[in-house]
Amino acid sequence: MGEKTAAAPRAWLSKHSAQAAAYSGLAMCLILFTILTPIFGESIWSAQELHTLMQNVIVLALMSVGAVFVYSLGSMDISIGKQIGLYATLTVILGNTTGSILAGLALSLIISVIIGAVNGAAGELLHIHPVISSLVFQMVLSGISSVTYNSVGSRNVALTSIDVSFFRQTWVMVLALVIEVLVVSYLFNYTKLGKNAKAIGANPVAASQSGINLIRYKIIAYIIMGVCIVAASLFQMGYTASASDSTGTGFEMNVMVALILGGMPLSGGMRSRVSCAVVGSFTYALLDVGLPMLGVAANQVFVIKAILFLVVVVLTCRKKSGTLPR
Amino acid sequence: MANEVIFEAHHMHKAFGPTIALKDVDFTLRRGEIRGLIGENGSGKSTIMSIAGGMQPATSGEMLYMGKPWQPRNMIESQQAGISMILQEANTINGVTVAQNLFAGREKEFSRFGVINMNKMYSAADKLLKKFGIENIRGRDSISSLTFEDCKLTEIVRCVSDDTQILVVDETTTALSMEGREILYRLIHKMAAENKAVVFISHDMDEILAQCTALTVLRDGDIIGSLTRGEMDAPDAVQRIRFMMVGREIGEKYYREDTEPSRLAEVALTLENISFGAIHDFSLELHKGEIVGFGGLSGCGMHEIGRAAYGLEKLDGGRVRRGEHTIRGCLDAIQHGIGYISKNRDTEALIMDAAIQGNIVLPSLSSLQKHGFISPAAEKKLAQKQIDALRIKCGSGAQFVSTLSGGNKQKVSFAKWLAKDSDILIMDCPTRGVDIGVKQAMYALIDEMKKSGKAILLISEELSELIGMADRIIIMKDFVVTKEFNRSADLKQTDIIEYMI
Repeated sequence: MGEKTAAAPRAWLSKHSAQAAAYSGLAMCLILFTILTPIFGESIWSAQELHTLMQNVIVLALMSVGAVFVYSLGSMDISIGKQIGLYATLTVILGNTTGSILAGLALSLIISVIIGAVNGAAGELLHIHPVISSLVFQMVLSGISSVTYNSVGSRNVALTSIDVSFFRQTWVMVLALVIEVLVVSYLFNYTKLGKNAKAIGANPVAASQSGINLIRYKIIAYIIMGVCIVAASLFQMGYTASASDSTGTGFEMNVMVALILGGMPLSGGMRSRVSCAVVGSFTYALLDVGLPMLGVAANQVFVIKAILFLVVVVLTCRKKSGTLPR
Repeated sequence: MANEVIFEAHHMHKAFGPTIALKDVDFTLRRGEIRGLIGENGSGKSTIMSIAGGMQPATSGEMLYMGKPWQPRNMIESQQAGISMILQEANTINGVTVAQNLFAGREKEFSRFGVINMNKMYSAADKLLKKFGIENIRGRDSISSLTFEDCKLTEIVRCVSDDTQILVVDETTTALSMEGREILYRLIHKMAAENKAVVFISHDMDEILAQCTALTVLRDGDIIGSLTRGEMDAPDAVQRIRFMMVGREIGEKYYREDTEPSRLAEVALTLENISFGAIHDFSLELHKGEIVGFGGLSGCGMHEIGRAAYGLEKLDGGRVRRGEHTIRGCLDAIQHGIGYISKNRDTEALIMDAAIQGNIVLPSLSSLQKHGFISPAAEKKLAQKQIDALRIKCGSGAQFVSTLSGGNKQKVSFAKWLAKDSDILIMDCPTRGVDIGVKQAMYALIDEMKKSGKAILLISEELSELIGMADRIIIMKDFVVTKEFNRSADLKQTDIIEYMI
């Protein structure tokens, strides 16, 4: 019995090493910044800094939580950033012409569903890695963006009459994130959508032979992500009440880094969790907000992020050795 | 020099978290012997040799190999030192030639100035294959064009060299036909004659009794006892070994007890003049309450028939029909009450990196959901029922399938469709690598399914299983049906074999 109890935590740790690393990374950041920031000036727990933190985290977290579905398939999407840019731009331009953000929002949702359907189906139908079709979208959306801003005659557009400060309030951001996390967690853990997505990521052949329609569930996964990206684009636009041709640039990489920091396996499958997105996004944002408060130069922030990233990747990719007798 | 001890393990202990695979085992292997290792799934028989062969370290204990302390770090190190292992699952490199597989890691021997002389490698490969008595494989062949069996033979040739002192054959014969087995048997006897040692791990009692010179029985990580050749020839040897393995009498009932073919009038599944690949114009009517068995050598086309019946093959002609509905793919097949246990357990039938529970409930998710919600409690209940019914050896349903022993994995694959409760089950080698205790349980379940009116297509490489279970046995050779037998008490393996080869 003694042996059993002693072995249990070790077994847990070896199975959840990525999880453990991700959580301890976040905990370390929290402890470090709680102790150190008051010494350097303002505490990270002040209302002002919490607001800054939320602003930093909200867009990334909303995107990453949605992306869990796609990453669990073992694929990834690099059109996320350009989609954010497009949706923000649409909302601003249509907002200025119609006087409400609803038209832009509706159009964004329609486009996100179409992009999701194409990205989800392309891999299966054309037998290509889904990253390729998302790359195509990245280029197409870049083109659309540059044509749009050329015709506007400026590199950015701002809302003229609508007040979007609503999206800048801390409680709104927290509430939006909580709702999205709850909804996505439910879909991911308690419905066929998530269970099938994980099964496809873990072994598409076995999934298909077990009666899972690969195309259908891939498309659904991409559409869920698309809807979450539209939600994120609202907060991105609300932040400055404007959009520009560089809005969203590089966000797809931030999503990837956040998910990996949160312990998400890049190969997808059963070890994928929604909590990876939340933990990763907060770790990422905490580093962004906290390190400069300690007087760390902006370029050194990248180095520290990279080191943490490396640690998590090494732990995630560690080969399993715990196999039972055959 | 004969009978000299070549390998010893003292107090070998291996634990995987809370699960103990080997309990303080002492094991001795001598030169010139073919040592059989037998035991139920998860009894630890493979574990001993996988530790000796460097696949994994022991938790504690020590090993001596040729009189010196032995602590291999990996399989390559032990292979270089003379311990070679042939494993259960395919271990060849896809997409290259047989020769490249045979000489993987040894390309230097064929290269000059960094350029490999492929012709030289091919002829060396042909020579090597011939030495093992394998005529039908050439070094030039692409490994992907070979059958599973020929891949296995290629692997054997790769593993064994003149320097091999101990050869471990782990459940390999389940993948081989008679012909392939003969090649392997010749090899192990030759090695024993050369005063080397062979460890032969198998579930097939007849095979063990026929080939081995000594036998060690394991149960639950313990060595229960050993038998000499003389003891193995005793008339009650089989009962004695079974008792040692299982720890209880397993009783008389093994296969079906009735000896007459029977079936319901209603046809469950029809294969109508189907043609695809090398199969031409094949037809079959599978009735409700009927078990149709398929037998033959492994490349005879019977596995393909199973795949086609499940909608996995693209047909050039004909159709697979369930009532008036034409089955168009495997999703369609499942929706129409067909289930399929693939022969390729690790790659097709199971998700290795998923919990046992997740695998078992996967085909049944649709029936578990209520308004889209799948209750974890319902999932657990469904999975636990199967885990208990098939005695899957695990800590809990949350354990990953990749951590299970081969036989227990096979049980999970069987449990998936048991849970789904399909009307038609296509089983491709369902008892592969499963020990007798559980085989008995599986046969009882198959018999029960038949009695409840389910239709079963049983594809098997074990003739005794087909004779014991099927109402009709269809024998195939070179993609053509050569003979059909009806269930009968008088049917003997020898009657069937001539139609297979």
